[in-house]
Parts: sequence; C-alpha cells; structure tokens
Amino acid sequence: MSRLEAKKPPLFITEPLTKDGVSQSLSLLSGILKSCYGPAGRLKQLHNGVGGYVCTTSQSSAILSRLPVSHPVLGVLMASVQNHVSRFSDCGLFTAILCCSLIENFKSLNIASCTVIKISKHLLSFCMDYLKSEACGCRVAVDFSSVETLLCLVRSILRSKPACMLNKTEVDHLTTLIVKAFLFTVPCHAESNAVLGKCVIVPMKGRRVVDSTVLPGLLIETPEIQLANPLTIKRTSSNTIKIALFCVSMSGDSFNPEEGTITVHHGISLEMSELNQLLDVGKQLVNDEVGLVVCQKVIHPSLKQYLKENSVMAVDRAGLSLMEPLSRMTGSKPIASIHLLSPSCYGSLKDVDIESFASKNFVHLIPNDTLVCSLILCNRNETAWDELKRACETAEHVLQLTLKEPLALLGGGCTETHLASYIRHKSCSLSTSSFEDTDCSQAEYQLVAEGFCRSLESVARSLNHDDGEILTDMVYGHCWFVPPGFPPVSNWSDLVSKCGCGINGNSENLKWRLLQGQFGSPVIHDCPKEPLVKIADFLTLDCYAAKCSGLQVALETAHLILDLLYVIKDQN
Amino acid sequence: MARRQRLAQEAAALAGAVRGALGPRGGRALLVRATGQAVLTRDGRRLLEALSLEPPTARMMAACACRHRAATGDGAKTFVVLLAGVLGGLCAAGGGLRRALQAFEAQVLERAVAQGLRRHLLTALPGREGEAEAAALEALLEAYLAGRLGPGERRRLARLCAEHCRRCAPAAASRPQALRLLGRRFAELHAAVAGLPVASSMVLPGLVLRRDFATYSPAGGELRAVLVTEPLRPALSAPSVEFVVDSEGQYQASLQWITRRTEALMKHLQSNNIKLLLSSVKQEEAVISYAKLYGISVVECLSSEEMALICEITGVSPCAPFGDNMLGGITETAVATFCQPLLLGSKRCAHIGFTSVCTFQPHCLILCGPVDSVNEQHAAALQEAFIMLQQLFKTAEQREECKAEGESRSEALGVCSWPCSATQTQLAIENNYCNSTQVPEGQSKAHRDGAETQIVDPDLHGCDNPVCVQTDLPVLSSPILHIKEFSGATEGDGSSRGVQEPHAECERLGAMHLNCKSDSLVDSQKHHSTAVLACNANAGTACESLGAGKDLEKTSCNIVPLKQGESCVSTAQNYSGSLIKAGSVLPVGGYFEVLLHYYIQYYAKQFQQSEVAVVSNVVADALLSIPKTLYGTTEQNSFTKFYLRAINSLRKNEPLPMNGEGLESVYCKYHLVISVLHCVTELLSIDLIIGIKRPLQKAEDYDSENDF
Repeated sequence: MSRLEAKKPPLFITEPLTKDGVSQSLSLLSGILKSCYGPAGRLKQLHNGVGGYVCTTSQSSAILSRLPVSHPVLGVLMASVQNHVSRFSDCGLFTAILCCSLIENFKSLNIASCTVIKISKHLLSFCMDYLKSEACGCRVAVDFSSVETLLCLVRSILRSKPACMLNKTEVDHLTTLIVKAFLFTVPCHAESNAVLGKCVIVPMKGRRVVDSTVLPGLLIETPEIQLANPLTIKRTSSNTIKIALFCVSMSGDSFNPEEGTITVHHGISLEMSELNQLLDVGKQLVNDEVGLVVCQKVIHPSLKQYLKENSVMAVDRAGLSLMEPLSRMTGSKPIASIHLLSPSCYGSLKDVDIESFASKNFVHLIPNDTLVCSLILCNRNETAWDELKRACETAEHVLQLTLKEPLALLGGGCTETHLASYIRHKSCSLSTSSFEDTDCSQAEYQLVAEGFCRSLESVARSLNHDDGEILTDMVYGHCWFVPPGFPPVSNWSDLVSKCGCGINGNSENLKWRLLQGQFGSPVIHDCPKEPLVKIADFLTLDCYAAKCSGLQVALETAHLILDLLYVIKDQN
Repeated sequence: MARRQRLAQEAAALAGAVRGALGPRGGRALLVRATGQAVLTRDGRRLLEALSLEPPTARMMAACACRHRAATGDGAKTFVVLLAGVLGGLCAAGGGLRRALQAFEAQVLERAVAQGLRRHLLTALPGREGEAEAAALEALLEAYLAGRLGPGERRRLARLCAEHCRRCAPAAASRPQALRLLGRRFAELHAAVAGLPVASSMVLPGLVLRRDFATYSPAGGELRAVLVTEPLRPALSAPSVEFVVDSEGQYQASLQWITRRTEALMKHLQSNNIKLLLSSVKQEEAVISYAKLYGISVVECLSSEEMALICEITGVSPCAPFGDNMLGGITETAVATFCQPLLLGSKRCAHIGFTSVCTFQPHCLILCGPVDSVNEQHAAALQEAFIMLQQLFKTAEQREECKAEGESRSEALGVCSWPCSATQTQLAIENNYCNSTQVPEGQSKAHRDGAETQIVDPDLHGCDNPVCVQTDLPVLSSPILHIKEFSGATEGDGSSRGVQEPHAECERLGAMHLNCKSDSLVDSQKHHSTAVLACNANAGTACESLGAGKDLEKTSCNIVPLKQGESCVSTAQNYSGSLIKAGSVLPVGGYFEVLLHYYIQYYAKQFQQSEVAVVSNVVADALLSIPKTLYGTTEQNSFTKFYLRAINSLRKNEPLPMNGEGLESVYCKYHLVISVLHCVTELLSIDLIIGIKRPLQKAEDYDSENDF
C-alpha cells in the first residue's frame, strides 16, 4: 500500500464485549430505551446545552438519531435499529430493547458464541413459523370490512407516544382522522397493480388538536389571495376545471446554463422576447379554456395579471414536493417548456375553493377522484407537533403495511409473553435430531432457550414503569399488570381485570405467576392456547410486519455483536 | 539467528491476530476507519490491511498472503497461520535449511501429493449433472462462506448464491462463463437493503438499476428499449461554439426549433414502438416531459458499468439519435419482458427484465441485512466465492473448446515422435485431446517447453521440468512477469512461430493455471522421447489427470494395466504439474492438512538425517496447526481425537471417516502450501533491510487480478 505513514498504530481490542466500557454503555442505552417504552413511558429531553432546539420525545427514531455513539459496537446496534425504523416506522423501541437484552442474556451464559448463535437461530425459526401459522395464538386477522381493527391499530400507536401530549378525546379524534385519510388514499377501482395515493400533512402549530381535520385534495398556501373576493374560475362544458401544471419557471428568466457563449446584438432584449413568449402561452391557455394554472416555480407578474383578467386562476411557488401528487390527482402532465404546449398535458379538477386556517389562506384543489388528501395537523407547541407528526406518519405507514398483510399482533406485552411460553413449551419437547442439527447438547439448548425467553419477557416487563408486579397466565400466556402498592402474595385474580392487550378478562382461573427477572422458576409449560374470542373492541394491537421484522433484526443484530471478536480502530 | 527468530515472532504475532477469525467457528472483526465508518469483516486481506503493520518483513508476509488470496479468492488467514508454523519450526530447527526447502518441495511434497493425496480426492463438478451438481455447488459455497460469514447467515446465503448462479446460467455448460460475468459484474448484479432480516434476501429475475425512473409510463408485455449516451435536447451553444442572436424572432425561433426537435425525436421513438429510454447522462426537463407525454419511460444517469453490462447482455450498443439517421429506423434496440419500479427499502429502483442474447440470463441478488456493513460483508464474500468457483469450472470449459476444435492431431504428432508403438494409437487419441485444447497453445507450449528444458537442465529425466511449472504458479498472478517469461522462452528456442500466441494467451489469464497443467502433459510427451521407460505409466496418468470425456476414460482403462506393469517412482515427478485434477475437492475440516501431514512424513523417511527430512518434519507439523486452530475453540481434545482417528484409518489403509458437511478445492489448498514455502524462502533470503525516506513506487496492484 502506498499510503501516507500512519501517525498512530491502530487500536486492537479483542473480545470487545467482555470489556467493562462496552457493557456499561450497553446497559445505559438499554436503560434509556426501556424507560421510554409504552404508553406510560418517560419522556426524554434532548438539548445541546448551549440553547437552541429542545426535543422532548419518547420515540426511538428521534432518540437514536440524536444520541452520540460512544463505542463502535453500540453504533452497529443503533444503526440497525434506525434502519429498521426507516423501513417500518414502528417497533423501533421493541427491536432495540430486545436486542440489548438478548446480548446481555446470551453474554452471561458462558457458552461459545457460535453455539449460541446457532441455537437462537433455531429458536427464531420456531417463532417465525409459529407467527406465520394459522394456529398462532397471538395474532388477529384484520377485517377490512369494518374499521374497528384499523382504529385499534392507530389508537395503540398514538397512545404509545406520550410526548404527543394527547388526552383521550384527542386520541380518538386523531385516530378517526388518520384512518379516514388512509381510506381516502386507497383507490376506489381495484386494478391488478394499484398504487396507494398520498396523504399530505399540513402543519398548523399553536392550535388545539381537535381542530385538526382531513380534506380530500390538496392545499396550496397562497398568502396573497383575498378571502373576501368570490372566486371566478372558468369551467369547461362538463363543469370541471381544466388545469395546466408547469414545472418550468414562468418568470421570463429561463435561460439554460449551457456551456459555450451566446452573443446578443445591441438593442435586442432576450428578456422582452421571453416575456412575449410567456404572454403567448397565456393566450393559448385562455384559448384552451384552462381555468387554473399551477406553477412549481415563479410566474411573471404580468402573466399573472393577464391570466387574472381572463378569469384564469394562477397559483405559483407550489414546490417540488407537491408536483407528483398534483400530477397524480389531476391527471395532468407537468409541462417543461413554454415553447410548445400540447393540449394532452392538461388535467381536470372538480372544484377549487379557498380555505382559511388560523391566519393562513390556502387554495383547496378538489379532485374528481380522492386519491390524494391533506391532513391539517394541529398541536399546541412545536415539539409536541413534531412528535405528533412522526406518530401520524408511523400510523399511516402501519396501515399501509397492514393492507399488504392483513394481520396484527396483540400488543401490551402479550405477544412477547405468549411467544416466550410457546418457546418454553417447544424447547422442552424437542427431538434429539434438533440438537444434532445445531451441534450442541440439550443442556446448552435449554440455557439458550431460557435466555431467549427471558429477553422477550424483559421487553414486556419494560412496559411497566411503576412498582407494580407483572404477571403472566399459564393458559394463554398473556401479560397482566398489577397496579402498584400491593404485596406480591395477593390473590392475583382480585387485582387484575384485563390482560395487556385487552383480549382476556379474568373470568376464569388462569393460574397467574410472576413474570420475574433473572430468577424465573422452572415451570412446566403447556402450549399456550388461543383466546376464545378474537374480536373485541379497544384491543391494543401492533403492526404484524414491523414486529416480525423487528424480532428477526433484533436477533440478527445481537448475533452480529456477539460474534465480534476484534475491534480494530484506526486512530488517525 | 536473531533475524530468524524475529521473523518467527512477527509471523506468530500476525497469526495470533487472524487466528480467531479462521474457520467456521471464527468470529468477525469490526474495523473502524479513520473516518468513523464501521466495516464488518472476516476477510483475511482486510484484517491484515487494517493492522497497518510497521515492520517491513511483516508487511511482506501480509503482502504475500494477500497476493495468494487475490489469485485463488481464498486462504489469506490460513496462509498466515501456516507461515507462522513453518517459520517457527525452522527457527527451532536451526539454520541453513533454506536450500533444503527447494529440495523438499521437489522431492517430498510433490511425491506426497501425487502418490499419497491423490487417492483420497473426490471430484466435484465435471461430469455431474442436476441434483448432484447443485448439491456439490452448495456444499462448496457453504464451506467457503463458513470462513467468511457469521454462523447464522451462511446457510441461507450459500443457498441464495447457488440459486443465483443456477438461474443466471440454467445450462451447466454456460456456467463457467456466467461465473466469470458474476465475479466481474457483481456490483451491478446485486442490490443491498439495510434494515430487513437476512431471511428476506432473494433472487429477482432481470436487472435492478439503483435509481428511480425519471418518468415512468406503465407498459404491459414485451417492450423495446434504446440506450443513449448524450443529451437528447439539442443545445443552443456548446463549448467553443458561439451562438449569435441577430433578432428576437430568431432567438425564439431557435428555441422553438429545439423544442420541436425534442418532441419530434420522442414521437419518432414512440412510432418505433420504443417504451424505454436508458441514458447515461442527465436529460433536460423537456426531454423527460415529452417522454412522459409519448408514453416512454426514462432512466437516466446510469453508470458506465451498468451501461456496459446492459450492452453485454442485450448485445446492443448505444445509439446516437442526432445523426442523419434520426428519422430512419432504429436498429439497436434491446428487448425487455417487463419494466417496472421496485421499492427496495425506501429507495425506488428501476427493475427491468432484459432478454438476453447470450447464455447468461440476468438475475439480480437482493441482499438484506440489519446494517449496511453486514450487506457489504456479504457482497464481498459472495463476489469472491464466484472467483473461487471459477477455478473449479475451468476444465469443463476447456473440454468444450477442445471438442469444437480438435484438429491438431497430426500437428501434435509431428511435434512428438513416439518410440513406443504398441500404445501409439491410444496415446495419439489422448494426445489429440490434450493438445487440441487450443491449437496455437499446443504449438507454443511445445516450444516453450523445449526452451525451458534447455534452460533448466537439457538432458535430465524430466524431474526438473515440473518444478519449473510449479514455480510458475505463484507468479501467475502477475501478468507482466509471465509475458516476459514466455517471450524469453520462445526466443530461447530460436523460433518466431509461437511469439504471437503466448501473448494472446497471457491476456487470458483466467485459464492460466490450467494451461500449466496441459503444459506438463506436453512436457511428459517430450520426455518420452528421451526416457522411454516412463512412457506408458506417464500416458496413463496424463490421461487420468485431464479428467476427459467418456471415450477418453475408456482409453485410460486400456492403459491402466500397462501403467501398473511399469510403476516407475520417478515418473511421479513428471506429472506433478497436473497432479491435482481440476475439480478435485476434499471435505472441509482439516482433512487436507492431516493427509498431507501423513504423506509428507511417509515420503520423508527415505531422507534420513538429511536437511530435507528436517524441513519435512517442520512443514508436516506446521500443517497441523491449521486443523488445531479450527478445532481450538471447541472441547479440549477434539483435535487430538480427530487426528488420531484420521491417522489410524490411514495406517490401516481404510477410507477416512468423513462427515460430509462441505467441500473445499484441493487446488487452492495445494497452491497455498506452495505459496507459503515460497514466501518462507523469500523471507529467509533477505539479509539486510534498508530503510529509505522516499516512498517506493508501488509495482503492482493486488486487486487487479480480481477482474479477469
């Protein structure tokens, strides 16, 4: 290598996981994330100590992107969770907490990491097969003929984000709005490869949450339009409005920055000729009965004036992000040249309206087909609004994922405890061939399985931030929370009324036991049963695709980190 | 002595650094670059580079290991471990053994391989079809990936990689070519998605271009595509072209002409039924908007590698629609069965199912993993796996060629005159097969051969010649050296007939090591004329070593009795160039090392007390350090158990107890031992290290061999 001489030799760390520094940072990170988890999660305030923007949040995406990485090993973990979040939006904290506790549990086992990885891979395949099977007791099918399950999904997401500062009515209001907006974006006419529309979030800070609303079509902010003037827009014979969409600047300065030189003789004004050309375009637009002209960039004032005189409405500075939904919604093709207008570029709109929220005026474009809609999202202050926006985007993404795979998992820690008891049952009744497959002894297998189950349960445990006990029942394997302040020897059936996800009541004797930390007593497990009634209102549900992928990613990341033998750090 | 100790220490330190990452139970390393970028790897080369070694001799060891890896796609870590073993052993054994190394290689090692190891070899690919071949491919890949990936991922990826390979080349005959293309263009033939579990990885038909459509118009069924390399909208002015505006009208007219022209072009494309425009440059807004208007999808800013790959697969070349042919028919069009947007993670890509004009069926491997660095590790490992596999497929490929042009029989006979008339006809058939691999090659080889024998030893019984071929092998990785040697050889012969051919051959470095094997065949024929005794046996083994087609096997059956009748020990050295059949494999897990250890000791017995015996013992013991490392992390005495079991069954002449988990290429392994011995010789030959301030010119790039 012909490279400049290295100033310092690289830092060579063997078996990084055994070093104190890494374990400490890992448990610190795990502690931070665990305390954020769930509806009762504690908020984190992130600020840089010299003023400026303060972020109050409990979401993994916001925390992980801002936390500094102290050690490259943690960097791997955080990058992996962030990648998961960017794919699925949801279950980031679940993935991160599970990954941390898997690493901690497996590390304490004192079994060769290679064996641990093989066994836990085997356990994961059990989990995935179970989650994919019809017999799975912790998933529910999503019925699109009623909105109830969709509402449950969205409500669970909003409730698990305490930094949005929503009360119950606000949660219900927003839940309805989000589901409504999602339903707008689903195409009415089923095609073979239908594409979902788009929901554009319009920010409206400093207003009450219940003022939020959803409108079909798009809103373009136009400060100069007077609300008082009634709109006079030319309509075509079929009572629709013809729209022309320009993605080229119409300000008369559209010289291409080409290489080479253009020599202009004295007395010739290219600007003048450009403007004349623009006015010609305006004439043609008027002749073609166009009612609305939208330009991505700026329209020259004299062209605007000309259009207005001919009762053609002109909206400029629409911005790049609106172009695609606009084109989609109106069926028009963006025009990129002012020299040649083709009539086939025009699209159509049902109506145009002026809307006013707070102090802002918007032009509201109402389409024939409501594939595109606008969600006007209000919240009291800036940080809470940011948090709410992230929550809404998550909810929308989750609904889209659910549409692809119409399943949902039980939330409130029930999926985790149910899976744990399934794995315990499964690993007890294993044939010897599986041990040969994974090249390990039965004792090793049991130990790793126990560590795996404990990690799953620790995710459920971190939903509880008060001192109350957490139980699991021996019939369904669900998760139950005891309110704080009761001694641990109470008669549990008096204290719990519903399980974490809300599907089971305490009508029968479910043989509760404590879901404890490190010292779980060995229990003989039957295969956990499926709940009798699967459809109930007000369930806590989680996104199926996001949680399944999160489970896999958490384990794979834990494998990566456990498998690390060296860290070689270039210190230059 | 002190220097020797220092070398041993350095090698031991290097081995200590890579030992943990060796083998299926090895762990991986996280390399943090100076920029903060984290890289996960188990690749020996990357590990050695990341250490940024200080001592020049240690740097040389690392460079030798990397060079070996570049040539065979495997084995940098094993190289270092073996090197440390040999150096440590030599250091303990005392000085003056440098010369004995060469003698050991010629007299013991080759015999051990040729007479001992050969019997245990299995064959992997040639001649096997369908299920068996697929299984062998997967076993090879899994064993290879076991040394490069984590325990949780290797099986899934081995399966994917084998599937990718099979689907790209559905016919077994086209597989070598496909492997070459895959190895060369893997960057374009895979895409990575971070944030998804590895289980979501898959093989997709068609190509995935990692950029979104500039505009997409859905088109069903088969569609036609054109490639362009320049902007389609004419410009008013260009560099060194001045545009003079006389009047406003003229300016507007020119602009209008440009727009009309652009529109006309798009209309023309549409009328030629073209639905997809692939551009290597960014196109103007106007072009995109007219393309959208006329229902043409556009992908722009394609990299030159992607363009080259598309051209290679579809056989079209980029067209220049600005010439006079603008309104003529467009001939250079590629056909695609589908063309659709594909969402990979959060990135929108263009997914195009090109119809191939060659045997390679384009497929794209989508690699998923939780973080980017894992995906990079997987991609690098797979690309090198393709390079490793190429080494196995090559014979099959040459055999194809040889059937196509098997006309050089008379010529070959002209070169070698056969004194042994009894087997002449049969040998001639063989001869035909050997030489017809490539007609010009056959000729040039004969010449080169003569030259080498002249240089090395004009009238020996053929013992030095194979050594010569062997010493060639490590040099193969540097094309320049090789060309020199070839031309030197031809000059030495005083003939100009073969001058062109060696050069042409050198360009085809890919098939080089095989050529060496056929070389030695011709060698042996040459020696027949001098040493008649060896003729029959030689012919038999030569035939076997080529592993040729069915009729050829018959021939070899006929010869076998003759071979047995005349078992001449010295002939073993004669065919050492081809002593390992192409496609030879052994199960993984230290079998090669234990076998070689056993046979080296066995054949070293005749050199009592001599230096060669000392070296033999050192190398034999050093070989065991590899399986020791492999078994190191499991239970205490598992290596001892394995070793004793294997040695016992060898003594009793029983087949080895094998648990057929995966396979490894014997050729790569043998090459590794040879490279290590050469590196040791080189290291021991250094007597002075001179430090200079100026940076030395880098002579060769180790990466460049990856690209043939």
